[in-house]
Amino acid sequence: MAPLSGRQSAAYLVTVRAHGLLDHVPGAEPADHLCWVYEDDGIFDDAAAEFLAGGLARGERVLCVGERVIEGLRTPGALPRDLTELLAEGSVETLTLAEAYEAAGRFLPERQLAYYDAATRRALDAGYSGLRVIAEVSDLAADPAQRADLVRWEHLADDYATHGPGFSAMCAYRAELGTDALADVASVHPMVHAPAEVTPFRLFAEADRLVLAGSLDASNSDRLTNALAATVGTGGDVVLDLSALEFIDVGACRVIARWAAGLAERSVTVQVTGASGLLRRMWQILELDRVAAVGFAEARA
Amino acid sequence: MTAVVPPEGFEHEAMFYRGDADFLAGLLPFIRGGLERDEAVLVAEPRPRLDLLRDALGDDAGAVEFLDMAEIGGNPARIIGMWAQVLEQHSEAGRRLRGVGEPAFVGRRTAELAECRLHELLLNHAFDAGPGWRLLCPYDQEHLPRAVTQGALRTHPVRSTSESRLPSTGYAPGRHMDAFGEQLPARGDAVLRGGYGPGDIAATRRTVAQWARSCGLPEDRVEVLELAASELATNSIRHGGGGGTVAMWLDESAAVLEFSDAGTLSDPLIGRLRPPHDQEGGQGLYLVNQLCDLVQLRSSDQGTTVRVITWF
Repeated sequence: MAPLSGRQSAAYLVTVRAHGLLDHVPGAEPADHLCWVYEDDGIFDDAAAEFLAGGLARGERVLCVGERVIEGLRTPGALPRDLTELLAEGSVETLTLAEAYEAAGRFLPERQLAYYDAATRRALDAGYSGLRVIAEVSDLAADPAQRADLVRWEHLADDYATHGPGFSAMCAYRAELGTDALADVASVHPMVHAPAEVTPFRLFAEADRLVLAGSLDASNSDRLTNALAATVGTGGDVVLDLSALEFIDVGACRVIARWAAGLAERSVTVQVTGASGLLRRMWQILELDRVAAVGFAEARA
Repeated sequence: MTAVVPPEGFEHEAMFYRGDADFLAGLLPFIRGGLERDEAVLVAEPRPRLDLLRDALGDDAGAVEFLDMAEIGGNPARIIGMWAQVLEQHSEAGRRLRGVGEPAFVGRRTAELAECRLHELLLNHAFDAGPGWRLLCPYDQEHLPRAVTQGALRTHPVRSTSESRLPSTGYAPGRHMDAFGEQLPARGDAVLRGGYGPGDIAATRRTVAQWARSCGLPEDRVEVLELAASELATNSIRHGGGGGTVAMWLDESAAVLEFSDAGTLSDPLIGRLRPPHDQEGGQGLYLVNQLCDLVQLRSSDQGTTVRVITWF
């Protein structure tokens, strides 16, 4: 990255995570957190293999979770090297969903985090540069009773990918889960491969802030309410970056204000960056500062 | 002068004037009378009249609050909300309010004057039951179309000149619902038209934004219309029977966007008064009124139409 000027501030050097809507598997980067929605098993197998190869090339251990992923490994030519060899040396590990339940206990976001944190540290201790997870967890998303926990886990995972010692993940979901379930889980990933109607917005963590990207309107304001409620509180004040927002309506502004008001009750202040001029006018006209005292700062350079 | 309205209520008066001297002869005693009673006095006039009054008031001008009516009342649907806020603020402080407002000033377009008429009728509905205050609306009898000055007799319970003050016999309370339910004038030529339903909010606003750009509107106006389209389509989907139709056309001076659905709005003040924070409905319409050049809202048991006009 070329220096912008002689007096470059530290802020310019912060790594910005890759985010956006995907049509292919991007090159492996630290802190990757992809949501991959698929219809065709074969196409998913190819994507998983590519994600896996990217991790191996970076010197990471790759953990494959779920029967679909494990089966895909056995496709001839799927891997750069022999599977038996990779499994024997520990570069690739597998975990069926049944084993995963057994290992981490009943699905609870905190237990999941503890499990993956331990697995990441084991990989680092064994000399790998990190842990890359490929998980097919459609069965969890299919159960409406578990979905709120799953969304909260995705937030924890996203936060751990950003702030943890070397964790990255591809979370795969079958398209037949339907738009509702898929949108719930897809909207909490920075990178998404899914039909357009599934991903009008994304909410994810950056090193020092939460990022809200895409389009927010009445069709997804309930989902936004849930996604914001599931975000990980780090204790300090929260910076919400809206510079990648394409559209926001009145209802979504009110959702953000109510979320900020809830945080204010716990003495957490929300600082908004990258808000458009129109959003600021809306905030002023609707007197949303009376709902929650939110600070507005200029967009990051 | 005869007291024609009990001083406790809302006194809404049309003051007809001919020329600057007559304008001042009618207004100066009204304003100074308010200051003498220690009332809060707010004057909303278009710029040249504002300056004329300020100069004529001399030292008294310092005690009067002045607002540019062309700015705050560009869309007349914004004016009642302004008065309501000022009234609330002064009533809380225990002060009576006296206002001057000339929404129907010379030079306004036909569509704006139509909205001024509805606004004047709705003022009575909005304030008749509330705390007492006086509002005087000057009408330029020399230069306004006769239909406008004649119309003012039917929208104000009191009529006056610099010399006389009388009950307006043409006024009858409760006519605002008829005006709110009237049909808007026919659409222009070359109308683009389409339907929308649940699931079409994003597509509707994208279509509107594309059209607004193709009309040559600057990007900040395009963004406002995109937002208006999203809010109005959402309203139709939620309250107007699940969907509606959008029409777009150009006339010689404006880009016009119109949303129609089968719903009926029972509150003619919707979108004019700032909705309470805990109320879900009415927020979008209030915002559209604040952001857009001119908004024409009509609703009856025949359906609801919102016309959003952006001047070139």
